[in-house]
Amino acid sequence: MRLLEQDPIDPEIAATLDAIDATLAGDPVDARYAELAEIALLLASDRPRVPSEFARSMDERVGRRFAPAAGSAGAAQAARRRRLARRFWETTGALAAGVALIVAIVVVAGGGGRGASSESSSSAASSAASSAASGAASTAASGAAAPLSAPVPHTSTTSGKRTAASSVAAPSYQSLGASNVVQPPTTGRKVVQSAQLNLTAAPSHIDAVAQEVYDVVGQVNGIVNSSTVTQGGPTGYANFQLSVPSASLAQTMSRLSQLTYAQVTSRTDNSQDITGQFDAATRALADARALRTSLLKQLANATTTEQVDSLKAQINDAEASISSDEATLARLNNQVNFSQINVQVNAGTPPVPVSHGGGGFGIGRAAHDAGRVLTVVAGGALIVLAALMPLALVVALLWWAGAAVRRRRREQALDSV
Amino acid sequence: MDHPLARSVGVTETLTPPSNAAGSSWERFESLYRSCRDDVYAYVCTLLRDPAAAEDVTALAFERAYRRRRSFDRRRGEERAWLFGIARNAALDELRRRRRIATLVTDPSEDSTDAGEGDGAEVALRRTAVQAALAKLPAREREIVALKFHAGMSNAEVARVLGVSESNAGTLLYRTMEKLRKACDATA
Repeated sequence: MRLLEQDPIDPEIAATLDAIDATLAGDPVDARYAELAEIALLLASDRPRVPSEFARSMDERVGRRFAPAAGSAGAAQAARRRRLARRFWETTGALAAGVALIVAIVVVAGGGGRGASSESSSSAASSAASSAASGAASTAASGAAAPLSAPVPHTSTTSGKRTAASSVAAPSYQSLGASNVVQPPTTGRKVVQSAQLNLTAAPSHIDAVAQEVYDVVGQVNGIVNSSTVTQGGPTGYANFQLSVPSASLAQTMSRLSQLTYAQVTSRTDNSQDITGQFDAATRALADARALRTSLLKQLANATTTEQVDSLKAQINDAEASISSDEATLARLNNQVNFSQINVQVNAGTPPVPVSHGGGGFGIGRAAHDAGRVLTVVAGGALIVLAALMPLALVVALLWWAGAAVRRRRREQALDSV
Repeated sequence: MDHPLARSVGVTETLTPPSNAAGSSWERFESLYRSCRDDVYAYVCTLLRDPAAAEDVTALAFERAYRRRRSFDRRRGEERAWLFGIARNAALDELRRRRRIATLVTDPSEDSTDAGEGDGAEVALRRTAVQAALAKLPAREREIVALKFHAGMSNAEVARVLGVSESNAGTLLYRTMEKLRKACDATA
């Protein structure tokens, strides 16, 4: 029955239909269609007429826009239905708002912990990227005066010297404030400290970050041993080898962690106890000096030329040993007094700054939390959508099947009459 | 053959569909109601052959159309065809309901029309023969007659309401008329 395609119509049928239409329009038709025209007119005149009572009732209903008549049972029922519907939507809305509020609170409250772990994992990627960048980037290195003297060959034995080394990797940039600097106890010990700091900055801010690093080093009377700064295009890279007074290490790390244009992605603190090496060098120096004193006394009492020559040679050796030990001590002292800091700055999208003001709630924190809430909501909506999609497909299929069955049953009802 | 899409006129004075598309949905519906009320009733009454049920179905059809007036999509056809589609579904649902409760239907021809009161004897006989032939038609063919002669629809509109092609609707109408003619001849 549902043939929507347009088929060519038989000319005889078309002529008959034209005659019917002409009859209904009051136009004359060919004599061979006279009988058909009469039937058409009789059919048209037999058109059921609307009872006047029904017409009046319908007009009233349409005038009321099909609302139940005032005071009727239908009106009371409709009002009750409207009240129930309003109450249902109010309750549903309140529940939805409550759930949304709880979700937001949970997300905001739980955001810190999840953020820390994610930032930790990103630090590894950042380190890898910086390693690659250091190999590929063309560099312009500027050397500064080395604070350490060249190592002097040390003839003294170093066996038995106690060495203790420790290394601490910071979990996240959020815990890298000045108060969180990791330092081993140094009471009476000679400890060499060093640190590695990885930063991320926008490619266009590499120069600004470099200048900030220089400023920080200048403020703590430190030295830039070497620096490499590469900027241009979407990539950028900078590396600084710094020496700062060990007493200012915590302050320096704190300031480097709070640069305006960079965010910390990872930090590593190292310390090495060299008390054993230092004591050994001190003892060797004392021995050498005692030997020289003894030799000088022997020289004063020498009577033969051979004795004098031999003692002079020994004194020379002792003085060389003294010089070597003094150099070793100086180098160790320098290592203890000056800490080495390696700062790497990689271009990239810096993480959203949380707060440099000690964890207080500010605009940045609020924006960060709002972003997280929106992200979680969007993710939740996506999950709900994914879960509902098959359900919606099934419902659509059922609806389509139901509509088809209903249409078929209606047609069957027409055929069965 | 160039076959114009003729439109039935003269059956009712309210055949022109509302054209004030710029008006509000309520105004459009009211205009549709004014122009189609009698046609819808005539169509449903002929299909159901029960004036009381036809009143209920007509009222239901207009109420449904009013509730769904904002979902009407002009690209899918004229409002008149859309309204008759709703009326048709309501009438078929009524037929289904009747089939379930197995009630008898009455022939509304005597009650619903006063046409023929001034006819001569020959015309009256002829009218009776046509009414008898119409009553014997299957519902599907009676529906064609109702849409064409009682609702005053063009062949294209009939096709749209029935969900068939225009040529198919024309062929169905032609066959129905031939049946009626033969039945009338047999009666004569």
